[in-house]
Amino acid sequence: MSERSATESPKSRLESPAVGLDLVGELRSTLERAGELIRVVESNLRGASEGTEGASASERIAELERRLSTAESDVKELASRLVDSEHQGGRLMNLYVATYQLHATLDPAEVQATIAEIAINLLGADQFVLLLRRDEGEGYEIALLEGMYDGVLPFYDGETYKGGDPMVDQTLRDGVLRLGPTAESQALAAVPLRVQNDIVGALVVLKLLDHKPILRAEDRDLLDLLSAHAASAMFAARLFATKDRKLRTLESLVKLARGE
Amino acid sequence: MQPRKVLVVDDSKLMHKMYEVMLRQYPLVYALDGRQALDRLQENSDVDLVLLDINMPNMNGLEFLAQLRSDGARAALPVIIISTEGREEDTARGIEAGANAYIKKPFHSEEILDVIARLETKGSAL
Repeated sequence: MSERSATESPKSRLESPAVGLDLVGELRSTLERAGELIRVVESNLRGASEGTEGASASERIAELERRLSTAESDVKELASRLVDSEHQGGRLMNLYVATYQLHATLDPAEVQATIAEIAINLLGADQFVLLLRRDEGEGYEIALLEGMYDGVLPFYDGETYKGGDPMVDQTLRDGVLRLGPTAESQALAAVPLRVQNDIVGALVVLKLLDHKPILRAEDRDLLDLLSAHAASAMFAARLFATKDRKLRTLESLVKLARGE
Repeated sequence: MQPRKVLVVDDSKLMHKMYEVMLRQYPLVYALDGRQALDRLQENSDVDLVLLDINMPNMNGLEFLAQLRSDGARAALPVIIISTEGREEDTARGIEAGANAYIKKPFHSEEILDVIARLETKGSAL
């Protein structure tokens, strides 16, 4: 509004047509200014509204980023679990195959060969000895001796193990699986072979393949399996072989008695 | 493209069982040495992949591989050597002899599956 309209009274302004025209002009001008003001307010409101939408969008972006980060973290965890489960599956497969093959035959030589194959192919053993308690006499029969191409270690030279490696001797006494090497023994593992509670021998791992520096955690499962199953498979095969031999002898005697 | 048939050449029956369990999606044929493997290839023209041990009686893996690579018809057959021989020179010898990949025993099953998948992706021979 103009300064005059603010100071003069409405009555004096209506006193002449010229004044009326002024008022009309003033009113038009005021209306124009009001229109301008409305446009400004609208513009401000629009701007304010756009500002709110921008803030909302940035919040949404932040939320999406947070969700993406969570999803990435989940993917990493799932990938890690997948690797773990693949390894676990591999371990179980090794154990299944080893058990299956140990009990797949009743031929003592084949059972021994399977023990050797497990030690070499699944465990990565380069040098090892299989000791089996003799049915008669003292000491342990050296049933298998693998990988000692440059000379046999003194304890295992010959057909019988009479003791000498403290870790192996202790395992043969108490049936506890031991891992080395120790100050007294160069054996990497002394695995007791048990049939029920009877210790009938041991598998002694002396050296691993060059590309396998150490026994891993999963190898422990395999050693435990050998401890429990190798001896019973061997025991069953030997028992079967003995029975089979006796049966054949009896059949021969019967044929002889019949004069056939 | 997946192999139609896989020839396993290993003198260990334990390993035969292992491959049977691990590769149950593929039909397998088995040989206990290189000579048997050559016979199996004659009998099975649809073999597309060979898993080959090195240390075997009668004919070892490298001798078998040499014969295979000199056979015009099957010379390009993909071969994965899987062996306890794990020194660098062993790997180099295997690859020089014509193996497509070399895996050391003991192995994780995914190593073999990964190599087979890689050979499948490379693809033309499989």
